[in-house]
Amino acid sequence: MKYVKEFRNAELARAVAAEIATLAEPGRHYKIMEVCGGHTHTIYRHGIKDLLPDQIELVHGPGCPVCVLPMGRVDEGIDIAERPEVIFTCFGDMMRVPGSRGNLLEIKAQGADVRMVYSPLDALRLARENPDRQVVFYAIGFETTAPSTALTLQRAKKEGIENFSVFCNHVTIVPPVRALLDSPDLRLDAFIGPGHVSTIIGCRPYEFMPADYGKPCVVAGFEPLDILQSILMIMHQLAEGRCEVENQYARVVPWEGNLAALRSMAEVFELRPYFEWRGLGFIAQSALKISPAYSYFDAELRYSTPGVRVADPKACQCGEVLKGVLKPHECRVFGTACTPEHPLGALMVSSEGACAAYFNFGRRAKEKVGATE
Amino acid sequence: MKEKLLQSYCTLDHDGCVVCSDAGISVRVVSVEGDDALCEDSAGNQARIAVELVAPVRAGEVLLTHGGVAIGRVEEDS
Repeated sequence: MKYVKEFRNAELARAVAAEIATLAEPGRHYKIMEVCGGHTHTIYRHGIKDLLPDQIELVHGPGCPVCVLPMGRVDEGIDIAERPEVIFTCFGDMMRVPGSRGNLLEIKAQGADVRMVYSPLDALRLARENPDRQVVFYAIGFETTAPSTALTLQRAKKEGIENFSVFCNHVTIVPPVRALLDSPDLRLDAFIGPGHVSTIIGCRPYEFMPADYGKPCVVAGFEPLDILQSILMIMHQLAEGRCEVENQYARVVPWEGNLAALRSMAEVFELRPYFEWRGLGFIAQSALKISPAYSYFDAELRYSTPGVRVADPKACQCGEVLKGVLKPHECRVFGTACTPEHPLGALMVSSEGACAAYFNFGRRAKEKVGATE
Repeated sequence: MKEKLLQSYCTLDHDGCVVCSDAGISVRVVSVEGDDALCEDSAGNQARIAVELVAPVRAGEVLLTHGGVAIGRVEEDS
Protein backbone atom coordinates (compact mmCIF):
# COMPACT_ATOMS: atom_id res chain seq x y z
CA MET A 1 0.00 0.00 0.00
CA LYS A 2 1.25 3.48 -0.87
CA TYR A 3 0.99 6.07 1.88
CA VAL A 4 -0.63 9.49 1.67
CA LYS A 5 1.87 12.33 1.39
CA GLU A 6 -0.29 15.40 1.85
CA PHE A 7 -1.05 14.81 5.49
CA ARG A 8 -3.77 17.45 5.85
CA ASN A 9 -5.35 17.46 2.39
CA ALA A 10 -9.13 17.69 2.89
CA GLU A 11 -9.97 16.12 -0.47
CA LEU A 12 -7.77 13.11 0.24
CA ALA A 13 -9.24 12.86 3.73
CA ARG A 14 -12.78 12.72 2.36
CA ALA A 15 -11.73 10.07 -0.18
CA VAL A 16 -10.14 7.90 2.54
CA ALA A 17 -13.20 8.36 4.78
CA ALA A 18 -15.48 7.32 1.92
CA GLU A 19 -13.41 4.17 1.37
CA ILE A 20 -13.60 3.41 5.11
CA ALA A 21 -17.40 3.72 4.91
CA THR A 22 -17.59 1.22 2.04
CA LEU A 23 -15.70 -1.34 4.12
CA ALA A 24 -18.01 -1.04 7.15
CA GLU A 25 -20.33 -4.03 7.29
CA PRO A 26 -23.98 -2.95 7.73
CA GLY A 27 -25.24 -3.55 11.26
CA ARG A 28 -21.77 -4.15 12.71
CA HIS A 29 -20.34 -1.87 15.40
CA TYR A 30 -16.57 -1.34 15.30
CA LYS A 31 -14.64 -0.34 18.39
CA ILE A 32 -11.08 0.82 17.69
CA MET A 33 -8.76 2.01 20.46
CA GLU A 34 -6.15 4.70 19.80
CA VAL A 35 -3.56 3.82 22.43
CA CYS A 36 -1.70 7.10 22.30
CA GLY A 37 -2.79 10.44 23.77
CA GLY A 38 -1.25 12.25 20.80
CA HIS A 39 -3.68 10.40 18.52
CA THR A 40 -6.60 11.40 20.77
CA HIS A 41 -5.50 15.01 20.42
CA THR A 42 -5.36 14.77 16.59
CA ILE A 43 -8.74 13.03 16.40
CA TYR A 44 -10.49 15.82 18.31
CA ARG A 45 -8.50 18.71 16.93
CA HIS A 46 -9.25 17.77 13.32
CA GLY A 47 -12.78 16.45 13.79
CA ILE A 48 -11.90 12.99 12.50
CA LYS A 49 -14.84 11.41 14.32
CA ASP A 50 -17.24 13.46 12.19
CA LEU A 51 -15.76 11.98 9.00
CA LEU A 52 -16.35 8.39 10.07
CA PRO A 53 -19.56 6.37 9.87
CA ASP A 54 -21.46 6.27 13.20
CA GLN A 55 -20.80 2.54 13.50
CA ILE A 56 -17.04 3.15 13.95
CA GLU A 57 -16.32 4.14 17.54
CA LEU A 58 -12.91 5.43 18.57
CA VAL A 59 -11.99 4.58 22.16
CA HIS A 60 -9.24 6.50 23.94
CA GLY A 61 -6.48 4.45 25.48
CA PRO A 62 -4.06 4.85 28.38
CA GLY A 63 -1.27 6.46 26.35
CA CYS A 64 -0.88 9.75 28.18
CA PRO A 65 1.87 9.38 30.80
CA VAL A 66 0.69 12.35 32.86
CA CYS A 67 -2.83 10.93 32.95
CA VAL A 68 -1.85 7.48 34.16
CA LEU A 69 0.43 8.70 36.96
CA PRO A 70 -1.07 7.81 40.36
CA MET A 71 -1.53 10.54 42.92
CA GLY A 72 0.99 9.02 45.35
CA ARG A 73 3.81 9.56 42.84
CA VAL A 74 2.76 13.20 42.41
CA ASP A 75 2.84 13.67 46.19
CA GLU A 76 6.30 12.13 46.42
CA GLY A 77 7.60 14.49 43.75
CA ILE A 78 6.16 17.41 45.71
CA ASP A 79 7.86 16.15 48.91
CA ILE A 80 11.24 16.20 47.14
CA ALA A 81 10.55 19.60 45.55
CA GLU A 82 9.85 21.15 48.96
CA ARG A 83 13.34 20.37 50.26
CA PRO A 84 15.29 23.64 50.56
CA GLU A 85 18.45 22.33 48.90
CA VAL A 86 16.60 21.09 45.81
CA ILE A 87 16.03 22.64 42.39
CA PHE A 88 13.15 20.49 41.14
CA THR A 89 12.78 20.26 37.36
CA CYS A 90 9.97 18.78 35.30
CA PHE A 91 8.14 18.95 32.00
CA GLY A 92 5.44 21.63 31.79
CA ASP A 93 2.37 19.42 32.01
CA MET A 94 3.55 17.96 35.31
CA MET A 95 3.36 21.38 36.97
CA ARG A 96 -0.45 21.30 37.11
CA VAL A 97 -1.10 17.62 37.86
CA PRO A 98 -3.00 17.54 41.15
CA GLY A 99 -1.59 15.62 44.09
CA SER A 100 -3.55 15.09 47.28
CA ARG A 101 -2.35 18.44 48.67
CA GLY A 102 -1.90 20.65 45.64
CA ASN A 103 0.36 20.71 42.61
CA LEU A 104 3.91 21.77 41.78
CA LEU A 105 2.83 25.22 40.60
CA GLU A 106 1.24 25.90 43.98
CA ILE A 107 4.29 24.88 45.98
CA LYS A 108 6.42 26.97 43.61
CA ALA A 109 4.20 29.92 44.55
CA GLN A 110 4.88 29.08 48.19
CA GLY A 111 8.64 29.32 47.64
CA ALA A 112 9.82 25.92 46.39
CA ASP A 113 12.38 26.10 43.57
CA VAL A 114 10.46 24.32 40.82
CA ARG A 115 11.53 24.92 37.21
CA MET A 116 10.04 23.78 33.92
CA VAL A 117 12.44 22.26 31.40
CA TYR A 118 12.00 20.99 27.83
CA SER A 119 14.65 18.31 28.18
CA PRO A 120 16.38 16.39 30.99
CA LEU A 121 19.59 17.72 29.43
CA ASP A 122 18.44 21.19 30.52
CA ALA A 123 18.13 19.86 34.07
CA LEU A 124 21.67 18.48 33.85
CA ARG A 125 22.88 21.90 32.66
CA LEU A 126 21.25 23.45 35.75
CA ALA A 127 23.19 20.98 37.91
CA ARG A 128 26.45 22.05 36.27
CA GLU A 129 25.58 25.72 36.82
CA ASN A 130 24.50 25.24 40.46
CA PRO A 131 27.09 22.98 42.11
CA ASP A 132 25.91 23.96 45.61
CA ARG A 133 22.33 22.81 44.96
CA GLN A 134 20.77 19.40 44.31
CA VAL A 135 19.00 19.26 40.95
CA VAL A 136 16.27 16.62 40.60
CA PHE A 137 14.53 15.79 37.32
CA TYR A 138 10.99 14.37 37.44
CA ALA A 139 11.18 11.77 34.66
CA ILE A 140 7.88 10.79 33.11
CA GLY A 141 6.83 9.26 29.83
CA PHE A 142 6.68 6.11 27.75
CA GLU A 143 9.49 4.65 25.66
CA THR A 144 9.45 7.82 23.53
CA THR A 145 10.79 9.87 26.45
CA ALA A 146 12.82 7.29 28.37
CA PRO A 147 15.82 7.46 25.97
CA SER A 148 16.30 11.17 26.70
CA THR A 149 16.48 10.40 30.43
CA ALA A 150 18.84 7.48 29.79
CA LEU A 151 21.14 9.58 27.64
CA THR A 152 21.15 12.36 30.25
CA LEU A 153 22.17 9.94 33.01
CA GLN A 154 24.91 8.49 30.81
CA ARG A 155 26.27 12.01 30.29
CA ALA A 156 25.94 12.80 34.04
CA LYS A 157 27.93 9.69 34.94
CA LYS A 158 30.57 10.33 32.29
CA GLU A 159 31.02 13.90 33.53
CA GLY A 160 30.92 12.87 37.21
CA ILE A 161 28.13 15.32 38.10
CA GLU A 162 27.24 14.51 41.70
CA ASN A 163 24.43 16.99 42.42
CA PHE A 164 21.99 15.53 39.89
CA SER A 165 19.36 12.82 40.32
CA VAL A 166 16.21 11.53 38.62
CA PHE A 167 12.84 10.65 40.14
CA CYS A 168 11.96 7.96 37.64
CA ASN A 169 8.32 7.44 36.60
CA HIS A 170 8.86 6.05 33.11
CA VAL A 171 6.32 3.49 32.01
CA THR A 172 6.10 0.95 29.20
CA ILE A 173 3.25 0.61 26.72
CA VAL A 174 2.74 -3.11 26.19
CA PRO A 175 1.74 -4.27 29.73
CA PRO A 176 -1.21 -1.83 30.12
CA VAL A 177 -2.51 -2.74 26.65
CA ARG A 178 -2.35 -6.39 27.63
CA ALA A 179 -4.17 -5.53 30.89
CA LEU A 180 -6.89 -3.80 28.87
CA LEU A 181 -7.23 -6.81 26.60
CA ASP A 182 -7.61 -9.02 29.68
CA SER A 183 -10.26 -6.70 31.14
CA PRO A 184 -13.83 -7.98 30.90
CA ASP A 185 -15.13 -4.36 30.77
CA LEU A 186 -14.09 -3.71 27.23
CA ARG A 187 -14.63 -5.37 23.85
CA LEU A 188 -12.32 -3.98 21.18
CA ASP A 189 -11.94 -4.85 17.50
CA ALA A 190 -8.52 -3.36 16.79
CA PHE A 191 -5.81 -0.95 17.89
CA ILE A 192 -4.18 2.14 16.41
CA GLY A 193 -0.63 1.66 17.68
CA PRO A 194 1.46 4.52 19.11
CA GLY A 195 3.69 6.16 16.52
CA HIS A 196 6.61 7.61 18.39
CA VAL A 197 6.87 4.94 21.08
CA SER A 198 7.30 2.59 18.13
CA THR A 199 10.20 4.67 16.81
CA ILE A 200 12.04 3.26 19.83
CA ILE A 201 10.56 -0.21 20.36
CA GLY A 202 9.63 -0.98 16.74
CA CYS A 203 6.54 -2.95 15.68
CA ARG A 204 7.49 -6.42 16.86
CA PRO A 205 6.32 -5.95 20.51
CA TYR A 206 2.71 -5.62 19.28
CA GLU A 207 2.66 -9.07 17.68
CA PHE A 208 0.95 -10.49 20.77
CA MET A 209 -2.21 -8.54 19.86
CA PRO A 210 -3.01 -10.57 16.74
CA ALA A 211 -1.25 -13.72 17.99
CA ASP A 212 -2.77 -13.99 21.50
CA TYR A 213 -5.96 -11.92 21.24
CA GLY A 214 -6.90 -11.91 17.54
CA LYS A 215 -6.80 -8.08 17.32
CA PRO A 216 -5.21 -6.19 14.42
CA CYS A 217 -2.84 -3.33 15.23
CA VAL A 218 -1.75 -0.58 12.84
CA VAL A 219 1.05 1.73 14.03
CA ALA A 220 0.10 5.25 12.96
CA GLY A 221 1.48 8.76 12.62
CA PHE A 222 -0.04 11.91 14.08
CA GLU A 223 -1.39 13.85 11.13
CA PRO A 224 -5.12 13.57 10.39
CA LEU A 225 -4.51 11.58 7.22
CA ASP A 226 -2.18 9.25 9.12
CA ILE A 227 -5.06 8.43 11.48
CA LEU A 228 -7.58 7.99 8.67
CA GLN A 229 -5.14 5.85 6.70
CA SER A 230 -4.54 3.62 9.72
CA ILE A 231 -8.30 3.18 10.24
CA LEU A 232 -8.61 2.26 6.57
CA MET A 233 -5.84 -0.34 6.96
CA ILE A 234 -7.63 -1.77 10.01
CA MET A 235 -10.94 -1.90 8.13
CA HIS A 236 -9.21 -3.71 5.24
CA GLN A 237 -7.82 -6.28 7.68
CA LEU A 238 -11.22 -6.83 9.29
CA ALA A 239 -13.02 -7.04 5.92
CA GLU A 240 -10.47 -9.46 4.49
CA GLY A 241 -10.29 -11.61 7.63
CA ARG A 242 -6.63 -10.73 8.18
CA CYS A 243 -5.20 -10.06 11.63
CA GLU A 244 -1.67 -8.69 11.83
CA VAL A 245 0.58 -5.79 12.83
CA GLU A 246 1.02 -3.22 10.08
CA ASN A 247 3.08 -0.04 9.96
CA GLN A 248 1.31 3.00 8.49
CA TYR A 249 4.07 5.29 9.80
CA ALA A 250 7.00 3.78 7.91
CA ARG A 251 8.47 7.20 7.19
CA VAL A 252 9.45 7.39 10.87
CA VAL A 253 9.04 3.94 12.47
CA PRO A 254 11.60 1.23 11.62
CA TRP A 255 10.16 -2.26 12.15
CA GLU A 256 12.98 -3.12 14.59
CA GLY A 257 12.95 0.24 16.43
CA ASN A 258 16.01 2.25 17.45
CA LEU A 259 18.62 -0.21 18.70
CA ALA A 260 20.99 2.49 20.01
CA ALA A 261 18.18 3.94 22.15
CA LEU A 262 17.18 0.48 23.41
CA ARG A 263 20.81 -0.23 24.37
CA SER A 264 21.01 3.07 26.23
CA MET A 265 17.76 2.31 28.12
CA ALA A 266 18.94 -1.23 28.94
CA GLU A 267 22.10 0.17 30.54
CA VAL A 268 20.36 2.83 32.65
CA PHE A 269 17.01 1.24 33.56
CA GLU A 270 15.56 -2.03 34.74
CA LEU A 271 11.94 -3.17 34.96
CA ARG A 272 10.06 -2.62 38.20
CA PRO A 273 8.33 -5.77 39.47
CA TYR A 274 5.06 -3.80 39.47
CA PHE A 275 3.81 -0.21 39.19
CA GLU A 276 0.50 1.48 39.94
CA TRP A 277 -1.44 2.99 37.01
CA ARG A 278 -4.27 5.41 37.57
CA GLY A 279 -7.49 3.58 36.74
CA LEU A 280 -5.77 0.32 35.91
CA GLY A 281 -4.26 -0.56 39.30
CA PHE A 282 -0.97 -2.39 39.73
CA ILE A 283 0.49 -3.89 36.55
CA ALA A 284 3.49 -6.23 36.60
CA GLN A 285 6.70 -5.10 34.86
CA SER A 286 5.03 -2.00 33.46
CA ALA A 287 7.51 0.67 34.54
CA LEU A 288 11.20 1.43 34.68
CA LYS A 289 13.48 2.12 37.62
CA ILE A 290 17.08 3.19 37.62
CA SER A 291 19.49 0.26 37.39
CA PRO A 292 22.08 -0.54 40.10
CA ALA A 293 24.86 0.79 37.84
CA TYR A 294 23.23 4.24 38.01
CA SER A 295 21.73 4.03 41.52
CA TYR A 296 23.81 7.03 42.63
CA PHE A 297 21.49 9.16 40.48
CA ASP A 298 18.25 7.60 41.79
CA ALA A 299 16.23 10.26 43.64
CA GLU A 300 14.04 7.54 45.16
CA LEU A 301 17.09 6.24 47.02
CA ARG A 302 18.68 9.64 47.64
CA TYR A 303 15.53 10.98 49.31
CA SER A 304 14.07 7.68 50.59
CA THR A 305 10.61 8.20 49.06
CA PRO A 306 8.13 6.06 51.00
CA GLY A 307 6.00 4.73 48.09
CA VAL A 308 2.68 5.65 49.70
CA ARG A 309 -0.53 4.89 47.79
CA VAL A 310 -3.05 7.75 47.62
CA ALA A 311 -6.63 7.25 46.40
CA ASP A 312 -8.10 9.49 43.68
CA PRO A 313 -10.85 11.97 44.63
CA LYS A 314 -14.17 10.13 44.83
CA ALA A 315 -15.90 12.31 42.24
CA CYS A 316 -13.16 11.68 39.68
CA GLN A 317 -13.83 8.93 37.11
CA CYS A 318 -10.49 9.13 35.27
CA GLY A 319 -10.05 5.39 35.70
CA GLU A 320 -13.18 4.47 33.76
CA VAL A 321 -12.30 6.98 31.03
CA LEU A 322 -8.75 5.61 30.81
CA LYS A 323 -10.10 2.10 30.33
CA GLY A 324 -12.45 3.34 27.61
CA VAL A 325 -15.50 2.29 29.66
CA LEU A 326 -16.77 5.90 29.90
CA LYS A 327 -16.53 8.68 27.34
CA PRO A 328 -15.04 11.87 28.84
CA HIS A 329 -18.37 13.75 28.90
CA GLU A 330 -20.00 10.83 30.73
CA CYS A 331 -17.83 11.50 33.81
CA ARG A 332 -19.98 13.07 36.53
CA VAL A 333 -17.68 16.10 36.99
CA PHE A 334 -16.67 16.69 33.34
CA GLY A 335 -16.94 20.38 32.40
CA THR A 336 -18.42 21.34 35.78
CA ALA A 337 -16.19 20.67 38.78
CA CYS A 338 -13.37 19.49 36.45
CA THR A 339 -12.16 21.80 33.66
CA PRO A 340 -8.72 22.51 32.10
CA GLU A 341 -8.50 25.65 34.31
CA HIS A 342 -9.32 23.67 37.47
CA PRO A 343 -8.60 19.99 36.80
CA LEU A 344 -9.68 17.41 39.37
CA GLY A 345 -8.26 14.50 37.42
CA ALA A 346 -5.07 14.18 35.39
CA LEU A 347 -6.99 13.51 32.16
CA MET A 348 -8.08 17.14 32.20
CA VAL A 349 -4.54 18.48 32.72
CA SER A 350 -2.45 17.34 29.80
CA SER A 351 -3.22 18.45 26.26
CA GLU A 352 -2.87 14.75 25.41
CA GLY A 353 -5.48 13.80 28.02
CA ALA A 354 -8.78 12.54 26.63
CA CYS A 355 -10.87 14.88 28.81
CA ALA A 356 -8.87 18.01 27.94
CA ALA A 357 -8.99 17.13 24.22
CA TYR A 358 -12.71 16.47 24.45
CA PHE A 359 -13.32 19.69 26.40
CA ASN A 360 -11.29 21.84 23.98
CA PHE A 361 -12.35 20.33 20.67
CA GLY A 362 -15.25 17.96 21.19
CA ARG A 363 -18.09 19.90 22.71
CA ARG A 364 -19.94 20.43 19.44
CA ALA A 365 -19.78 16.70 18.76
CA LYS A 366 -21.21 16.03 22.20
CA GLU A 367 -24.04 18.49 21.60
CA LYS A 368 -24.76 16.89 18.23
CA VAL A 369 -25.01 13.48 19.91
CA GLY A 370 -27.21 14.94 22.62
CA ALA A 371 -29.50 16.59 20.07
CA THR A 372 -30.16 13.35 18.21
CA GLU A 373 -30.82 11.26 21.28
CA MET B 1 10.29 17.44 -0.35
CA LYS B 2 12.16 17.86 2.93
CA GLU B 3 9.76 20.67 3.86
CA LYS B 4 6.92 18.16 3.76
CA LEU B 5 8.82 15.82 6.05
CA LEU B 6 9.16 18.63 8.59
CA GLN B 7 5.38 18.97 8.87
CA SER B 8 4.29 17.88 12.34
CA TYR B 9 1.74 19.03 14.84
CA CYS B 10 4.40 20.09 17.30
CA THR B 11 7.14 22.65 17.00
CA LEU B 12 10.09 23.34 19.26
CA ASP B 13 8.24 26.15 21.03
CA HIS B 14 4.92 24.29 21.38
CA ASP B 15 4.82 23.29 25.02
CA GLY B 16 1.69 21.15 24.83
CA CYS B 17 3.21 17.96 23.56
CA VAL B 18 6.94 18.65 23.78
CA VAL B 19 6.68 18.00 27.47
CA CYS B 20 4.54 14.95 27.50
CA SER B 21 3.34 11.79 25.94
CA ASP B 22 4.23 10.19 22.68
CA ALA B 23 4.54 13.14 20.32
CA GLY B 24 7.90 13.99 18.78
CA ILE B 25 8.96 16.94 16.66
CA SER B 26 10.42 16.82 13.16
CA VAL B 27 13.49 19.03 12.76
CA ARG B 28 16.14 19.59 10.11
CA VAL B 29 19.83 19.40 11.04
CA VAL B 30 21.50 22.77 10.45
CA SER B 31 24.98 21.84 11.71
CA VAL B 32 26.59 19.06 13.73
CA GLU B 33 28.66 19.92 16.83
CA GLY B 34 30.12 16.73 18.36
CA ASP B 35 27.32 14.71 20.05
CA ASP B 36 24.86 17.56 19.51
CA ALA B 37 23.39 19.24 16.46
CA LEU B 38 21.80 22.61 15.87
CA CYS B 39 18.35 21.80 14.48
CA GLU B 40 15.46 23.84 13.10
CA ASP B 41 11.74 23.04 13.03
CA SER B 42 9.13 23.98 10.41
CA ALA B 43 8.44 27.28 12.19
CA GLY B 44 12.11 28.29 12.12
CA ASN B 45 12.73 27.69 15.84
CA GLN B 46 16.23 26.41 16.53
CA ALA B 47 17.50 24.21 19.35
CA ARG B 48 20.54 22.20 20.27
CA ILE B 49 19.63 18.49 20.08
CA ALA B 50 21.59 15.45 21.30
CA VAL B 51 22.11 13.11 18.36
CA GLU B 52 24.07 10.12 19.78
CA LEU B 53 21.08 7.80 19.45
CA VAL B 54 20.80 8.34 15.69
CA ALA B 55 24.47 8.95 14.84
CA PRO B 56 25.97 9.63 12.40
CA VAL B 57 23.92 12.59 11.18
CA ARG B 58 24.59 15.14 8.46
CA ALA B 59 23.37 18.68 7.86
CA GLY B 60 20.08 18.68 5.93
CA GLU B 61 18.76 15.39 7.35
CA VAL B 62 15.33 15.38 9.01
CA LEU B 63 15.21 13.90 12.52
CA LEU B 64 12.46 13.12 15.01
CA THR B 65 13.25 14.63 18.40
CA HIS B 66 11.70 14.30 21.83
CA GLY B 67 12.85 15.84 25.09
CA GLY B 68 15.88 17.42 23.45
CA VAL B 69 17.14 14.13 22.06
CA ALA B 70 16.90 12.80 18.49
CA ILE B 71 15.17 9.42 18.59
CA GLY B 72 14.68 8.66 14.90
CA ARG B 73 14.94 9.75 11.30
CA VAL B 74 12.13 10.90 9.06
CA GLU B 75 12.38 9.25 5.66
CA GLU B 76 10.50 9.46 2.38
CA ASP B 77 7.53 7.08 2.16
CA SER B 78 8.34 4.01 0.16
